[in-house]
Amino acid sequence: MLQQIIALVIIIFFVTRLFKQKTKQEIGLNEFRLWLIFWSIAAVAIIFIKQLDYLVVRLGFSGSGINFLIYLAVLALFYLVFRLRLELAKTDRQLTELTREITLRPKK
Amino acid sequence: MPKIACVIPAYNEARNIVRVITEVRPFVDDIIVVDDCSTDDTFALAQTAGAQVLRHPINRGQGAALETGNTYALDHNADIIIHFDGDGQFLASEIHDMVAPLLSDSADIVFGSRFLGKKANLPFAKKYLIYPLATVFTRYILGIKLSDPQNGFRALNRRAAEIIKIANRGMAHASEIQTKTFKNKLRVAEVPITVIYHHFGQRLSGGFRIMRDLLIHKIIK
Repeated sequence: MLQQIIALVIIIFFVTRLFKQKTKQEIGLNEFRLWLIFWSIAAVAIIFIKQLDYLVVRLGFSGSGINFLIYLAVLALFYLVFRLRLELAKTDRQLTELTREITLRPKK
Repeated sequence: MPKIACVIPAYNEARNIVRVITEVRPFVDDIIVVDDCSTDDTFALAQTAGAQVLRHPINRGQGAALETGNTYALDHNADIIIHFDGDGQFLASEIHDMVAPLLSDSADIVFGSRFLGKKANLPFAKKYLIYPLATVFTRYILGIKLSDPQNGFRALNRRAAEIIKIANRGMAHASEIQTKTFKNKLRVAEVPITVIYHHFGQRLSGGFRIMRDLLIHKIIK
C-alpha cells in the first residue's frame, strides 16, 4: 500500500511537471497528450496492481514481485530510449533551422 | 507574367547538374540550386552554369534543401516554385505541363505522377512491391488520394509555398507535402510525367524510415 502511494506521488510529480511544460509551451500538444496517456496508464496500473498481478499470472508469467519489477524496468528503459529519440529529433530539427539561417543570411 | 523559380536540391551531382540547369533554364525565370554540402564540385559547377547557388554548411537532406530553396524563392518574389531533382531523372520540357494548372488558377499545387500513362522505367521491385505498399500507407493511413505517393517533381503557387513549411529534412518530405496539401485544403492537380531512372533510389528500408520520420515529426510538432 505504501509503495503504491509513493509510486502515485511520483506520477503526480511528473504529471504536474508535464502541465507546467505545456503551459510554458516547451512541448507541443501531441507530445503532451502522449505523456499524459503514458502516465495515466501507469497510474491505473498502480491503482489496480492486484488485478494486474492476477492478469500477469493468467498470461503465463511468474507472479513473483521481482519478475514483475524487471518487466517494469524494461518498460521504463523503452520509455527513456523513446524520450531520448524524441529529444534527438527536436535537436535535429533545430540544427536544420540553424543551417538554413546560416545558408540564407548573406543572400537575403 | 508570373515569376517562376525552379528549386533544385543537389548532393554530389557534379555529373548531372550543369546539364540539368541548362535544360531547365528556357522554362523558368530563376534557377536556385541548393547544394546540400556536396563533397564534389556541384557548387562550383552550378555557379558556373549560371544558377543562384545556396550551400548548406552541413548535409541536411533533400527535404531541408527544398525548404531552404522555397524560403529563398519566396523572399525573391517568386510566384510559382518548381521542385526538380538534380540527377536528371525528370524532363525539363514537362515544366510547361506542370505550371499550366497554376497559370490558369485551377490548382494551388501540382504533383507529377509516374502512373498516369507516361513513360517511367520503374524498377520491377519498385513497381510491384515498394509503390503498392507506399500507396496503401499514404492512402489509408495518411488519407492522401494521389496516384503517385513519392514524386519529387511538383509545382507550387506562392500561397501553397507559404502554407507548406517542410519540416522533414529527409525523404519523408514528399509524404509531408502531400499531407499538408490535403490538410490545408489546397487545390490539387496531377500531371503525368516521364521519369528516367539512372539508379534504384528509395529502397524498402527507406520506406520504413519515411514512416518512422513522419511519426516522430507528428509527435514533436
